[in-house]
Amino acid sequence: MILATSLAIAAMFAAGAYLMLKRDLIRLIAGMILIGNAANLFIMASGLRRGAAPILPLDEPTADPLVQAMVLTAIVISFATAALALALVYRVYISHYSVDLSRLSAAEEQQAERDEPMTEDLRESVRDDTDGEASPDGRHAREAAIR
Amino acid sequence: MMNPAMLLLVAAFAAPLVVSLLGAIRHSWVPRGAILMTGLAFAAAVWTCIQDDASVNVPWAPTWSMNFSLTLDGLAKMYALLATGIGFFVVLYASKYLALHLHHDHRLLEEQTRFFGFLLLFMASMVGLVMAQDLILIFVFWDLTAIASYFLIGFDRAEEESRSSAQMALLVTGITAIFVLLGALALFQIYGTFALPEIIIASNGGRNTGIAVGLIVLGALAKSAQVPMHFWLPRAMAAPTPVSAYLHSAAMVAAGVFLIGRVYPLVAQYDWMLDALLVIGFASMAVGGIIALTRRVLKQILAYSTISQYGYVVAMFGLGGEKGVAGATFYVLAHALVKSALFMTAGAVTEATGKKNLPDVGGLMRRMPLLAAGSGMAAAGLIALPLTIGFFKDELFFAAAYERGMTLAVMSVVGASLTLAYILRFWRQTFMGVLRTEPEPISGYLVWPVVVLGIASVVGGLWTVPAIWIVDRAASVSADAPIHLHIAYHLDARHENVMAIATWVAGLLIYLTRRIWWPAALGVAHLGSYFGPARLYYAGMRGLNQLSDSVHRIEVRDLRSRVATILMPAGLLVGLAVIVTPNSTSSFAVGALGRDDIPLITMLVASVVSAFVVIVVRDHFRLAISLSSVGFSLAGVYAFMGAPDVTLVALVVETVLSMFMIGMLVLMPRPILRFETEVRAERRYLRRDAIVAVVAAGMAFFVAWGALSRPSPSTEVIDSQTVLTAAVHGKDIVTVILADFRGFDTLGEVTVIALTLLGVISLLRTGRLR
Repeated sequence: MILATSLAIAAMFAAGAYLMLKRDLIRLIAGMILIGNAANLFIMASGLRRGAAPILPLDEPTADPLVQAMVLTAIVISFATAALALALVYRVYISHYSVDLSRLSAAEEQQAERDEPMTEDLRESVRDDTDGEASPDGRHAREAAIR
Repeated sequence: MMNPAMLLLVAAFAAPLVVSLLGAIRHSWVPRGAILMTGLAFAAAVWTCIQDDASVNVPWAPTWSMNFSLTLDGLAKMYALLATGIGFFVVLYASKYLALHLHHDHRLLEEQTRFFGFLLLFMASMVGLVMAQDLILIFVFWDLTAIASYFLIGFDRAEEESRSSAQMALLVTGITAIFVLLGALALFQIYGTFALPEIIIASNGGRNTGIAVGLIVLGALAKSAQVPMHFWLPRAMAAPTPVSAYLHSAAMVAAGVFLIGRVYPLVAQYDWMLDALLVIGFASMAVGGIIALTRRVLKQILAYSTISQYGYVVAMFGLGGEKGVAGATFYVLAHALVKSALFMTAGAVTEATGKKNLPDVGGLMRRMPLLAAGSGMAAAGLIALPLTIGFFKDELFFAAAYERGMTLAVMSVVGASLTLAYILRFWRQTFMGVLRTEPEPISGYLVWPVVVLGIASVVGGLWTVPAIWIVDRAASVSADAPIHLHIAYHLDARHENVMAIATWVAGLLIYLTRRIWWPAALGVAHLGSYFGPARLYYAGMRGLNQLSDSVHRIEVRDLRSRVATILMPAGLLVGLAVIVTPNSTSSFAVGALGRDDIPLITMLVASVVSAFVVIVVRDHFRLAISLSSVGFSLAGVYAFMGAPDVTLVALVVETVLSMFMIGMLVLMPRPILRFETEVRAERRYLRRDAIVAVVAAGMAFFVAWGALSRPSPSTEVIDSQTVLTAAVHGKDIVTVILADFRGFDTLGEVTVIALTLLGVISLLRTGRLR
């Protein structure tokens, strides 16, 4: 049973990881959801006992209630994350008319090139240090400076 | 009566707080509030100065032997007087200057609050620094000055130059501050304490102590803008003038030589360190002096002058002995008075004429006689004319240098004559000669601080008692022995006098023959800017930028690579761990598989199959359906695991999520979604994705299998939860755990859901967001 559960967890995780590498943002979120499912299954499987529902009065051996409580939290949180991520994807579609990662990163790259000609600036500032002094506007300025 | 040390600290730190609060209420009160608060701090400094030495010692982190320990000793008194006194005049000056400055740049007057807040924080951290006795405390105040200076230098944040200068100052002084911290930690390692007085008593003059002290001195030299870490200071001129005036005289740059003075009893044990100080001091004197001769921008001349002037101080510390230490301490005092006045002169001239360069101004004597007189007195102080306080600073320097032989005596005369030449050039070409630009009338606030400081320089030269009183006490701390300064005018041919006269003659000659050596000096300046240490700084910055760009390109811009860079190493590391861990039979257990497990296995198979369907489907709606099928199958798994609560929640969640996803897909037009069916994924990506997925699966498999194979043998927690559930009159243990035992967790969870809901709503609202 341990091996079987582990295999199921691994398979679900692999499917999620594979989807997360796709260009399509919706598939990426599907992958996220699958990995979340794998994690939940893992927490459930790590219960110390298996058995009937842990509801009093106990007549027969019951399942581990602790992992169930934890998994409840985990399910709700991963649901919230997935919902928020889906809404974000929708927003990305609204502002870029695309949910294709390659197109989005191309757009980002263009934006970045517009925003940061930083390396150039630094090269300039070496020269700035001698500003005025080094300017080749000839003897006239130099004469004025010597005075 | 309050402890004087505490009183001074409170008075100093109250200033930035009060001013920031004032600014929040009404920004037009800020300059007056700042004047009042610095006045109070100055008064506190004067009052505490005539009190006995006082200490405050509060355990801070006793387990690490860190104490909040302040001592108001002679050295602290002198620097606190400078920081608050010069600070007071600078604030007076700034109260009018800043409004003009902001007006020129078409900026809001509200920004005054930020300026005065940081300026006063600068002052307060200086006051804290000079009293601190704990090395960690010293480091904290040390960095606080760097932070305050960063915001002040970069005050004109709309300008690129100002921002990059602030960054440079922060990086150079901040990185070297790490050396101070390293030195402190090394001293702690050796002596088991951060308390500087204890370390000084216990110090053994060993090699490790020497290295630790050397690190601290290195940080101090960078802060004092000594060669080769001087390049940040001229760039810091991008700051508004009051900041420059303060930073160069009584704060920041002075903090460096202060720290040397503070640890000097340790420094003096090592001859190699004294020699290094001597070399660095004279090098700074030469570099600063020569470059100052070639600059055209008023403030640049003064900036390079500061490098050379602190070179004197460092050199005097290097000369050592009673004369050296007393001279260095005296020098800081005299220099602070006159240099702040000269900077404020430059600012006033620029405000009046609108010109920043020396060649554009001239002949201002007749138009601004008061300013000319005030700055004339200050300039006379800097070039050590008799009847000013500056005369003694050079006299002490010459005396200390002469003691060490002829070579140093000649070098010191040359250094001092450079000072005379560039200050003569600065003052004479500003105030004498042809009038180049007609000045506009300026506020008295821009003139009177200069005049008062100039008069102070002259008074200090006539009536030496107060200066001697202050310096005696300060130098005694640095030398760790009582020091008595003897300064007076002697009308005889003693060597100090001869050297002084030689300096004046040589300086005048340098000034008069400037046409001859001008190209050579310019050459030195160029050489410095092309091959100097600034080049290294820029190269370092460029390298960092390129590194960051390339990391960004590889990792951040492409989300998929980022996912892969997390999954692949994780998988490989787990694989490595599995290989190197000695496997006993109990490491991995197959587990019993009974007839009862068949439904569970069936549901597991169903969920795995659905997960693979999610991978292969092309259409997004089928994807959503198969995804929800995974969730529903898992709900079945939970049901067969004896978890009805989880099953119900999973069913609800899966239903809502599927509806949400399908609803969103409906909102998106088909062409947007169809792209992946059009562009068949490139083959190489398919292979890469498959490899990553397999590695990730391996990782997940081994982690899950290894963990599940070794359950905890104790079920104590389950039993106690069962008992407790009965005690709180609950029936469903899971519900009780969530609602009672971990109620706060559940509350947090509910909050997350609420926040998510808010986020989703605001994201889904119409309107383009760019």
